[in-house]
Amino acid sequence: MIIDINFVGLIIASIMASAVPLILASCGELITERSGVLNLGVEGMMIIGAISGFALMTITGSLIIAVFGAMLAGVLISTIFAFLTQTLITNHVATGLALTIFGIGISAMIGKNFVGIPGKEFPVLFEGLKDTIPLLSPILFGHSIVFYFAFALPFITSYFLKKTKIGLIVRAVGDSPESASNQGINVRLVRYACILYGGAMCGLAGAYLSMIYTPQWIENMTGGRGWIALALVVFSTWNPIKILIGALIFGGLTIIQFHMQAIGVRIPVQFLTALPYIVTIIVLVVISRDSRKIRLSTPSSLGKSFHKDN
Amino acid sequence: MNTSLKISNVTKIYPGCVANDNVSLEFNSGKIYALLGENGAGKSTLVKILSGVIIPDEGKICLNENNLNLNSPLDAKKNDIGMVFQHFNLFETLSVFENLIIDSDEKREGLREKIDTIMKKYNFSIDLDIPVLNLSAGQKQKVEIIRCLIRNPKVLIMDEPTSVLTEQETSELFLSLKKFSEEGILIIYITHKLKEVMRLCDEVAVMRRGKLVSISQVKDENIESLANKMVGQNLKTIKKTKEKASSDQLIRITNLNFISEDPFETNLSDINFSVNRGECLGIAGISGNGQSELFQVLSGEIISDKNSIEFNKNYIGDLNPQERREYLMAFSPEDRLEQAAIPQMAIFENVALNNFKSSNFFNNGLINESKIKEHSKKIISDFNVNTDNIDLKSQFLSGGNLQKLIIGRELITSPDLLICFNPTWGLDVGAINYIHETLIKINEQNKSIILISTDTDELLKLSDKISVIHKGKLSNIMNAEEVTSEKLGILMGGGN
Repeated sequence: MIIDINFVGLIIASIMASAVPLILASCGELITERSGVLNLGVEGMMIIGAISGFALMTITGSLIIAVFGAMLAGVLISTIFAFLTQTLITNHVATGLALTIFGIGISAMIGKNFVGIPGKEFPVLFEGLKDTIPLLSPILFGHSIVFYFAFALPFITSYFLKKTKIGLIVRAVGDSPESASNQGINVRLVRYACILYGGAMCGLAGAYLSMIYTPQWIENMTGGRGWIALALVVFSTWNPIKILIGALIFGGLTIIQFHMQAIGVRIPVQFLTALPYIVTIIVLVVISRDSRKIRLSTPSSLGKSFHKDN
Repeated sequence: MNTSLKISNVTKIYPGCVANDNVSLEFNSGKIYALLGENGAGKSTLVKILSGVIIPDEGKICLNENNLNLNSPLDAKKNDIGMVFQHFNLFETLSVFENLIIDSDEKREGLREKIDTIMKKYNFSIDLDIPVLNLSAGQKQKVEIIRCLIRNPKVLIMDEPTSVLTEQETSELFLSLKKFSEEGILIIYITHKLKEVMRLCDEVAVMRRGKLVSISQVKDENIESLANKMVGQNLKTIKKTKEKASSDQLIRITNLNFISEDPFETNLSDINFSVNRGECLGIAGISGNGQSELFQVLSGEIISDKNSIEFNKNYIGDLNPQERREYLMAFSPEDRLEQAAIPQMAIFENVALNNFKSSNFFNNGLINESKIKEHSKKIISDFNVNTDNIDLKSQFLSGGNLQKLIIGRELITSPDLLICFNPTWGLDVGAINYIHETLIKINEQNKSIILISTDTDELLKLSDKISVIHKGKLSNIMNAEEVTSEKLGILMGGGN
């Protein structure tokens, strides 16, 4: 059997494309969690982003408005979460779950009028270079700008946390909000900003799904990717580079098991479908075994409410 | 340059308590001032006001004749007031350098140079690039001090700085503080330890129940006079009459090892000791040297080899705490609200918790509430717990009252052995005295105690035999009469 080398390249590119929403949402949630806030509303924010992006694109016809609108929608819904958890000091877990339920419900309601409408084509970059290098060309060229941004994001996030002053402040707040507050850092402000940023990235992840990956609106189209993104953050031990690895493994196994099903490999379908979840978690657990590093990168105040006693 | 800090008529009222009642004080640079008082006397509130953490209801603060508006910790920093809190304000998972640069406006290289100069000047040696959680308590405190010094403070406030330090580290700290004072930094030293006031300070202000009760020169005072001012009555001194203990062995630990999977716990290696009836064995050490692991192994929270613990001629190393209680052991853990009691449960419910089997608190799986309440009332009156409401949630008891309740609860079953871990940590003098008396009484009834404590004075007062734990290893067991606090200090630091 001769395998077309460009076909392999296309498979790899499709794996990478399927990893994009996971990377975006995980990296956003990572910043939120590093500041000590556990937002379980990722799935809800993603689906809001998905419907907002698709609806705005259909109504205005502008892709730019649609993409930024989806991010804004993510910011707005995460503002509800931020207000509840940071100003009214509600429980992070309960509020986050409510946010997801709310997001799924309201997106289905808004989405009623958009079912069955075809999407628009999203412009891709470097299309002219698509046939220049065998194998690598389909991987490197001819993708949307969101695709390139997603693969840069883990490195930007890592640099931001390690090398910048604001990144240091985010980590400090997640480590000990009490100490940060006594150092004159406005804990609430930092946490608001991190929650809103997380919302924006989840909104973008949703928009990628409904506008680029599968350009149409289907109810519940995020299909649990928000939960996978959350799991990636934890199992990567809050490390953006490991999120990238995890997202690629998950995306890869999802695509490959489709192909295996298509070829008719004699493995039960249920097992194949479950495979990406199991393998991703095992791999991330194995590469993150160093308990010293886990201690150093786990935000100590994660999920705990902070209010100044005074 | 001279610095003067003036507090005038500061009042802070909380619901149900006046934390600071019209307090006025004046400080001048060149001297070290002590602010002395028991827990809850209001000294912490006062220093939190000075550092901008708490805003007073009334009164004003002037630094060099300028009225200060301290609305946040940032305001205090901007006005050259540095503060080292009792509970460190450090970020454990960040490196030392990251901890220092976070509130500094300087560039990386400039700051590094500045820190190096400070460390050289005061003989500090700390690796700037390791995470803070790897530092000892003394080193963490130095990081806090450096953090203040970077800003060239005019005033340096130290809140109970020695509670986590060894004897050696305390001496080093005192030397540094004297040096700072000579250089013109005004030092305010908050403590409830009288010895430290005598050793370090020039002037002392005593607070009691939110009020300032006296200001005097330290040279005109002595430990007794200060203690009486602090407590407001004459304290009786407690002394254990050391009789010859029996030779009837009660508990024996043989070749006990514990290897933790958590790298931030301490491994215990080759622990051997025994305690006779009527005896108190004190275990000294700087916190974090394996005390909490040792306590857990002894109490059964961590199960060990069956034969490693022999109690009353039974091998019980593999039993859990509940089973060990049936052999008449009792436990008073370090963290009163996390380990010893459940904060959200009522007093009487907490009393019932350690007596599942050997009592008539439960009938056929139902709670016999009247019996438990009757019993709780007895504990409250027998052990001087200052409340008459047994339905009160235990989190609302003061530390002293809660500790009395816990010890009382543990003594219900009249155990042969009580194991306690820092039983008087953070308590005021009155409560400490009471607990000490109770522990001495236990020994007098020919029952035994294992006292794990970081307070060497307490150990010397109560123990018949003393050992020191350092990095998970026990030193030789010494007779308490032959031990001095200096010797303990050396052993606690790992010396011979």
